[in-house]
Amino acid sequence: MEKQPMIKIQDGNKYFYRLTLNQRIQHVVLAITVVFLVLTGMPLKFHDASWAPYLYSLFGGIKYAPIVHKINGAILMGLFFYHIGYLIYVIRKFHIEPKRQKGELKKYDSLKIVLTQCLVPNLKDAFDIRDLLKYLLFFTNKRPDGDNFTWKEKFDYWAPFWGMVIIGLSGLILWNKELFTQILPGGVLNFLLIAHSDEALLAALFLFIWHWYNVHFSTSVFPMGTVFITGYLSEELMVEEHYQYYVEVMKKAGLENEILPPHGGPAHESHEGGHSS
Amino acid sequence: MHARVKCEGCHTDITEIPHKPAKKVDCLVECHIVEPSSEKKFSHKDVETFLATSVHGRLDNEGKEKKYVEDYPNCKNCHDNPLYRPLSFFKKVRPGISEASLGRCRVCHKKEEFVFQFYNHVTTRLHKSRNPLNIAEMCGRCHDDPALVARHELSTKAVFSYGETFHGKAASFLDERVPDCLDCHVNKGESVHQMISHKDPKASTHDNNRGKICATIDCHPSASAKFASYGVHAEFSLVQSPAQYFFTVFFIILTGCTLLPLMGIIFLDIVRRFFPHAEMGRRK
Repeated sequence: MEKQPMIKIQDGNKYFYRLTLNQRIQHVVLAITVVFLVLTGMPLKFHDASWAPYLYSLFGGIKYAPIVHKINGAILMGLFFYHIGYLIYVIRKFHIEPKRQKGELKKYDSLKIVLTQCLVPNLKDAFDIRDLLKYLLFFTNKRPDGDNFTWKEKFDYWAPFWGMVIIGLSGLILWNKELFTQILPGGVLNFLLIAHSDEALLAALFLFIWHWYNVHFSTSVFPMGTVFITGYLSEELMVEEHYQYYVEVMKKAGLENEILPPHGGPAHESHEGGHSS
Repeated sequence: MHARVKCEGCHTDITEIPHKPAKKVDCLVECHIVEPSSEKKFSHKDVETFLATSVHGRLDNEGKEKKYVEDYPNCKNCHDNPLYRPLSFFKKVRPGISEASLGRCRVCHKKEEFVFQFYNHVTTRLHKSRNPLNIAEMCGRCHDDPALVARHELSTKAVFSYGETFHGKAASFLDERVPDCLDCHVNKGESVHQMISHKDPKASTHDNNRGKICATIDCHPSASAKFASYGVHAEFSLVQSPAQYFFTVFFIILTGCTLLPLMGIIFLDIVRRFFPHAEMGRRK
């Protein structure tokens, strides 16, 4: 993998490296298959709705849409297992092995490394949520200083992760129902069907409301955040969402002098200054 | 379909033309058509016997009239004209007799009347003349009537709950390959008039026989007997399917508890963006 610069400067603007090419490809595969799965699944869940037959016909109706659904489901399941393998590979190669080679790997260190990965929820997330509410409810003008990945991104990561386990497993069993009911009673299929479609509705609403608001519709990013394509995030958004990490990266790059004040900070600070003078 | 039967074949009380007001037709009358294999006069009398001993019969085992006897079907409740619609789905253009298929008959069969008769009468019986949705809707005229379901203490609005399964949903998208009511509720090879209660050990839907119905060669041939314990008529109902009810409620709560707070944050975020510097307690 080619090493990408942490900070790229283009036309005088700084861009911060966030996602590797491998991760971006994984995201695009995830995004496309999920959209196809939703479009071929929801007409069946809401078969009585007026739009259902029209949407379903776009994918070949009852004869072909279920096949489209299964193909996409299989690709997504493949991606899930690829991602698990990818996680194990990355954590071992870049976090555990270097320590082991230095002879610094103690008992339970591997577990500690896994639990302190950048997408694992921690106490700071709880404080960040508290601080965000303070900001949103006008108690302060200062946004929480986000780390590399904030609680929003962790939510965006773990919700589909959990969703893929539930929906993927139930989907796989429903697909091969004759095989699985050699052991499981058929009544289980009723529950799997509920889990599959209700969890899918939750996932779809979560992605299309919450995730899309944060990456598409919010005024900071509208019409579309581009980090999922380019892998780089603008300095403005870095300051807004990941200030703590931003300062860290800037210091590491030797750019201490160019660190911008925190979002909501300038007005806040300058006013404070003005008041006291 | 009764084109070769003369008027008085069914209207037995008509002796002269023009006729006086006639009685309603009795479908069980012996008409003048002769059944070719037995050379007996043709009649639907056997159907009456089938129906009388089926779950839809009007008398109970002791020969007494069942409760709410007026709810039980007669011939014409189910056999309305659409059931005898010929192969209207031939190339799915328009309902009615397909000229394209008649053209094939005429190659060999020169007598127009015979072609018409054969097409109408025989082919509709060789092929399914109604798609699963049509059949389900026909049964649903009674079996989805909440008052009738309550009167007869039936466990489900049958077509509604069928509609919640994959089979029913596919039927609503006009799939002709999925099973409808008759495919499961009648033993293979028997007349649909011989439908019996699922409590009867002879019934195709009896717990001991259900596996065979699912595992039919055209459906799920590798299915085990366990497969058939799938709740085909489960409703979102605390009384009928409490476990499924609570399981669904769990997902509704999970969805609400996940989305409502997040949507609240989105709402607050939108409002906050209008007033980026409006911290409380600071009057500038």
